[in-house]
Amino acid sequence: MTDVLDRIDRRPPDGGMPARRAVTRWAWRLLRREWRQQLLILLLITIAIAVTTVGVGVSTNTPLSTYVGFGTAHDLGTFQNNSATTTQKIDSWRALYGRLDVIDNEAVTVPGSVNTFDLRSQNPNGPYGKPLLTLVAGHFPKSASQVAVTSGVASLFNLHVGSVWHATGVARTVVGVVENPLNLLDEFALVLPGQVANPTNVTVLFDATRLAKGTSNVITPADVSKGNLLNPQTISIVLVTMTMLLIALVSIAGFTVLAQRRLRSIGMLGALGATDKDIRLVVRANGVFVGLIGALVGFVIGFVAWLAYRPTLESSAHHVVGALQLPWIVIVVAMALAVAATYFASTRPARAMTRISLVAALAGRPAAPKQLRRSAVPGIIFGVAAFFLLGVAGARGGNGGSGSLAIVLGFVTLTVAVVLLAPFLLTVLNRFSRSAPLAIRMAMRDLARYRARSGAALGAISVGVLIAMVVIIASAARFGNVLDYAGPNMASTQMIIYTSNGPYGPGGPGNAGAGNGAPAKSIATMALDAHSIAHDLGSHSVVTLENTSATLQHAAPGRSFSGPVFVATPQLLKAFGIKQSSIGPTTDVLTMRPGFAAITQMQLVYGNYFSGSKGGPITGPTAWPCPKIDCLANPSIQQMPSLPAGTSTPNTIVTEYAVHHLGLQPITAGWLIQTPVPLSAAQLSGARATAAADGMSIETKSTIPTSATIIDWATLAGILLALGILAMSIGLIRSETAGDLRILSATGASSRTRRSLTAATAGALALIGAVVGTLAAYLAMIGFSRTSALDGLHSLTSVPVANLLMILVAMPIVATVVAWIAAWRDPKGISGQVV
Amino acid sequence: MSILELQRVSKVYGEGDTEVDALTDIDLSVNRGSLVAIMGPSGSGKSTLLTIAGSLEEPTSGDVIIDGARVRGMSRNDKARLRRRTVGYVFQDFNLLAGLTAVENVSLPLELDGIPMKKARSKGMAALEGLGLADRAESYPDQLSGGERQRVAIARAVVGERSLLLADEPSGALDSVNGESVMRMILTACHGGVAAVVVTHDAKLASWADRVVFLRDGQAVDETLPPPSPEELLNPDVPKPSLS
Ligand SMILES: Nc1ncnc2c1ncn2[C@@H]1O[C@H](COP(=O)(O)OP(=O)(O)O)[C@@H](O)[C@H]1O
Ligand SMILES: [Mg+2]
Repeated sequence: MTDVLDRIDRRPPDGGMPARRAVTRWAWRLLRREWRQQLLILLLITIAIAVTTVGVGVSTNTPLSTYVGFGTAHDLGTFQNNSATTTQKIDSWRALYGRLDVIDNEAVTVPGSVNTFDLRSQNPNGPYGKPLLTLVAGHFPKSASQVAVTSGVASLFNLHVGSVWHATGVARTVVGVVENPLNLLDEFALVLPGQVANPTNVTVLFDATRLAKGTSNVITPADVSKGNLLNPQTISIVLVTMTMLLIALVSIAGFTVLAQRRLRSIGMLGALGATDKDIRLVVRANGVFVGLIGALVGFVIGFVAWLAYRPTLESSAHHVVGALQLPWIVIVVAMALAVAATYFASTRPARAMTRISLVAALAGRPAAPKQLRRSAVPGIIFGVAAFFLLGVAGARGGNGGSGSLAIVLGFVTLTVAVVLLAPFLLTVLNRFSRSAPLAIRMAMRDLARYRARSGAALGAISVGVLIAMVVIIASAARFGNVLDYAGPNMASTQMIIYTSNGPYGPGGPGNAGAGNGAPAKSIATMALDAHSIAHDLGSHSVVTLENTSATLQHAAPGRSFSGPVFVATPQLLKAFGIKQSSIGPTTDVLTMRPGFAAITQMQLVYGNYFSGSKGGPITGPTAWPCPKIDCLANPSIQQMPSLPAGTSTPNTIVTEYAVHHLGLQPITAGWLIQTPVPLSAAQLSGARATAAADGMSIETKSTIPTSATIIDWATLAGILLALGILAMSIGLIRSETAGDLRILSATGASSRTRRSLTAATAGALALIGAVVGTLAAYLAMIGFSRTSALDGLHSLTSVPVANLLMILVAMPIVATVVAWIAAWRDPKGISGQVV
Repeated sequence: MSILELQRVSKVYGEGDTEVDALTDIDLSVNRGSLVAIMGPSGSGKSTLLTIAGSLEEPTSGDVIIDGARVRGMSRNDKARLRRRTVGYVFQDFNLLAGLTAVENVSLPLELDGIPMKKARSKGMAALEGLGLADRAESYPDQLSGGERQRVAIARAVVGERSLLLADEPSGALDSVNGESVMRMILTACHGGVAAVVVTHDAKLASWADRVVFLRDGQAVDETLPPPSPEELLNPDVPKPSLS
């Protein structure tokens, strides 16, 4: 007997590790059996992690082109020459900031071409510029008579390692092939430092903890992104945060349903002597497993997609991208967050499991729904706080540091407000349904009385709609901006062939020295080739696009004008069916951009306007009204809806009247080709090869989604998510009042009543989720835009009505109908399988 | 030695208008190795009696003493440990945990009590073998017949050094052949020294018990000592039933 006691007493009082292990094993087996019931949660996590993996991979490997030149430096200084003052200044910087990387560039024109390349001197092992230079073949130059070239320069001059090259005035032996891995378009010839005699650009890379006053020729990556409100980084932080909150909410709803389904099993576990801790562990282990599986599967899918996309990325980003060149920390943190979200989501249902009596659990009797009498005040406080936090974010441009923090905090606060406030609308709906038929009235009364029960599901639906609506409103606002025109894209039957004078060539608008076009002969050749490309594509519509130095400028805070400004030649007008007589005699500009004509403080700038001012990228407001030289304030702008809508197409053009009275010089910028059928990839690459041979470039429909695509997908995702959450939890929400239903059936109510009850419940939840989510999204966007200098409140006026109706009207109707159809089954089935 | 003792146990459900006296002043003592059958109409409080006897529920008044320990005042963890080590349940229609094989179901209470998996498993196997179920050890509950499930549940209820078996209509959902074999197993367990309380509607099965308690409206109306069954006559080791 003492032996038995001894043995017993050596066992841990709460079962210890063996018990934990047994319970965890059972939880894992249950998950394997019942993963379908958690599919929505698994899918959400999988998609979130997969998208995060690919998204951060792409975004970190696609630096804004302006970042490229920084290497690993924090500051980038530029000089236009290597005069004594320049040398003096560089020396003073060296004294101030320590290590420097000096890169000399001299632009060299390729004979007989408008193309240039750089003669460059750069230390291959420079402290900051190292990432900007790698060796492909041979070695770096070691003496003044050696040079290494990029493959582009090599093919241009037909060079190979060992050839002697005279092009730069000095005879040099080619000893290596090099490239700028961060910018494969960067064509240069590398020589030893000191060999660039007349640099046109001296770049100095360094890290300044604190920049000395009065240094105007130094920029940092932050300066570069300053004009770029809501940079991708901030957007992804906000999206990841919101997605994690959504996953947590959906998981709470899902795990509550799951715990309900497993009620009897868990009761049995308790009857077998499991402690409360073990019982909670069943639910929590499930949460962790779901999070882990979703995160791992999502990562694998994301990684495979990344590997598949990498070659495309390399060619579009024009730099080498390693297979493992992913921001691993971000990915690991996202995965950990997903697991944490599901774990914390499981703790509430887990605690609820140990609060109901074992006997009730064994009988499959859920705890009676709790009546909730909570004040709306905390929710309102959170809502107001979110509004102001987002206002702070708007004022800071939502950019870096405190701006991103404010925007993330704002959205988290908003989510809390939504989850707290959504249930109150159930009360409102109940009040409205006083005179509805019995079943609807019952459904509304139950929803209102037992708000706690449907809280997680309703919160999840609302937050899902909120995310979708923010995406919808933000893209509608962004794409609805007529100044910084962002869409729609060119059609798949359109192609523009640009000469080097085009808007993106060296002679394009906004660039100094406009008008130094290529020789006429060259233009003629290009025209000939452009027409032959068009002919090969079966096109009969080739519109010559002409360019002047003129572009438009908005001399006020906010977004600035973007897009090419072509000339309204008779041929172009004819191509789009515009009669000369429909143009006002003194109209300067024609545009299809709706509302553009009404914008004040516009100015048409041309000639030496840019080179006359301080130079460099122009951001922010400029002087108003502008000096009369090379600038026309308040040009007469006329709306012309029949112009094409594509971002790169002639959607905004200067009239011949303006060309004459401003004395502009039109030059051929390119050709707009309309093809009878969408262009194939083979046709495109053929055309590209032909064009490249002439130094021309081609633009076609890009893969960047248009606003309509983004908005439609966001709408669809929001609706599917809401319906998925409803499908997952509606059974539970009704099952808890299954007793009522049975009484109803006993008193002779038909299955029709039961179906009406379920349908009304689903419809009400969907409607309130949609309304709350939409209102919250507008609250967020108004809060943000209210203070935003770039996109003011007026940017919210472009409302995507059809999408709003889809979410606010169609989605609740679908929920109601589907619930009606699906409710023929007895809701009792949910109380757990009997074994 | 008394394994289970109920002292003036009463249970009231609900309050006010909906108050139900499920049990009123029940006294019961069950000794090691004895089998007590509970009979009575539906709603008479049989299940309530078992759940209270097994510490799943608190009586409104009165005391429950299991294996010498008073349940009143025990913490939830203490009660859980009591269930792990002393009490085994068999219910009518739901016993085994889906997702675990028969042997895993049987060894689960041992593992919950801190016995490592391997050892618990071999004890579970032994229990299954003892009841002639060794060949079904690796089957999942949904691959077992109703009778097999109940027998696995009995194996689980007696595995380890458990001394109190509580069965609520264990043969209720079975045909007579299977029902009888389940009862026979419970009897075997009693012969091994386990004290058993079994709710049954079947008078024939009840007749195997050392004692039958009749319940009506929550009150024990009759306690009978059935005549010695043929088995008892053949097996002189079975302790003689005693009325407390
Ligand atoms: N959780 C409970 N809440 C309210 N009443 C209950 C509860 N459990 C049992 N009862 C009532 O107690 C009485 C006894 O029930 P029960 O012990 O299940 O009887 P039996 O098992 O003999 O059919 C019945 O009237 C039943 O309705
Ligand atoms: Mg009963």
